[in-house]
Amino acid sequence: MMDCTAYRRSMMADPADPNVELREHRDGCHECTKFTDKLLSFEARLHRAARVTLPAGQPAAQPAVPLRPRAAPRAIGHRKGMLAMAASVLLAVVVAGVLWVAAPGASLAADVVTHMGGEPDSWLQTDVSVDNSELQGVLRDSHVRLAAGAGLVSYAASCAFRGHHVPHLVIQTESGPITVMVLVHESVQKPVRFDEQGYRGVIVPVAGHGSLAVLTHGPATDIKTVELIAAQVLDSITWTS
Amino acid sequence: MNDQVGGNQKQARFQRLCQSLRPDLLRFAFWLSRDRALAEDVVQEAMLRAWKAQDSLLDEAAAKPWFLTIIRREYARSFERKRFVTVDVDELVAREEPMLAAADEQDLAEMRAAMFKLADEYREPLMMQVLLGLSTADIARELNLSGAAVLTRLFRARKQLRVLCGEDTSLDPQE
Repeated sequence: MMDCTAYRRSMMADPADPNVELREHRDGCHECTKFTDKLLSFEARLHRAARVTLPAGQPAAQPAVPLRPRAAPRAIGHRKGMLAMAASVLLAVVVAGVLWVAAPGASLAADVVTHMGGEPDSWLQTDVSVDNSELQGVLRDSHVRLAAGAGLVSYAASCAFRGHHVPHLVIQTESGPITVMVLVHESVQKPVRFDEQGYRGVIVPVAGHGSLAVLTHGPATDIKTVELIAAQVLDSITWTS
Repeated sequence: MNDQVGGNQKQARFQRLCQSLRPDLLRFAFWLSRDRALAEDVVQEAMLRAWKAQDSLLDEAAAKPWFLTIIRREYARSFERKRFVTVDVDELVAREEPMLAAADEQDLAEMRAAMFKLADEYREPLMMQVLLGLSTADIARELNLSGAAVLTRLFRARKQLRVLCGEDTSLDPQE
């Protein structure tokens, strides 16, 4: 049986440790529950403090690596070579176009999942809500309102995504933390389910307002539950423009 | 032709991966070096190295530790290239004010100043965990430490931070 000192040491080393023994001790110890509440409040502040403002001129959407330098101009070859090159370019454009048209939802889902990889600390299970002014700032920038009954929002950021800044929220639900991305600039024809790299979610179309991505991390929540949560989140959103 | 299209798609995917990870890697480099300009140089150089070595990243799920290793090596190289002058921590806090400032949240500014004061051996694993979401095992691998040693450093890091921030530590365990 774990004692209070061992519990508190473990929590201070890794407050997100999902160890069952830790949870069992916390559930049965009033003092350690009190300690945990305070520690998690401190932890939420630590996470926010770590995310320092990026320097001006270094937006998140800036190309991370330079494009490969252009090849030096070469002497133009004969006509046959030119035609072959033109055909190659045309074919590449057609192939890319077909791929894009065939799987826009899948591509969007892949980008959403990739974006999640950059913000792992947002998934913290907590009962500490994000500062209301911070949340309202994120929502206001995207002309979105969230009803009070939407749930406890523990994380809110305006994230660079496909050339736009979009609200990235984490809402604490009975099924654990879920992430919501309001994708006003991204349309999908029908709901797109995805299950990639440990993230399970759905992107649902929103008439006149692009789409909404809702996802969970880990295998605990099935896709039906995620879809149900997505519908509830959608109900609690109002667009102000 | 198919190879070329596949190659372009792979490069585009790698580019997106770099873009999505860059903000937090830059933040990590900042906390590592406590110097904004140096952090930018280190990340830029690291991204170039990563770009050239992208074929060695076999699993995108492991991208974060992979980039982290490159950044830490690049940071170590910066010491070989340049001789640094010792600077007082309070002076560092003042100098990096634009990165640390949180005008509307005084407690965040205090927390950041306290984080600046942590010894490197505590600040680095703490930022790996908090900012990059690395597991204890990943941190141990990166720092060449045992898992137990990492947990001890993380415990001490939070303990010192809580004291520096004036938190109520009456329920905190002793060493």
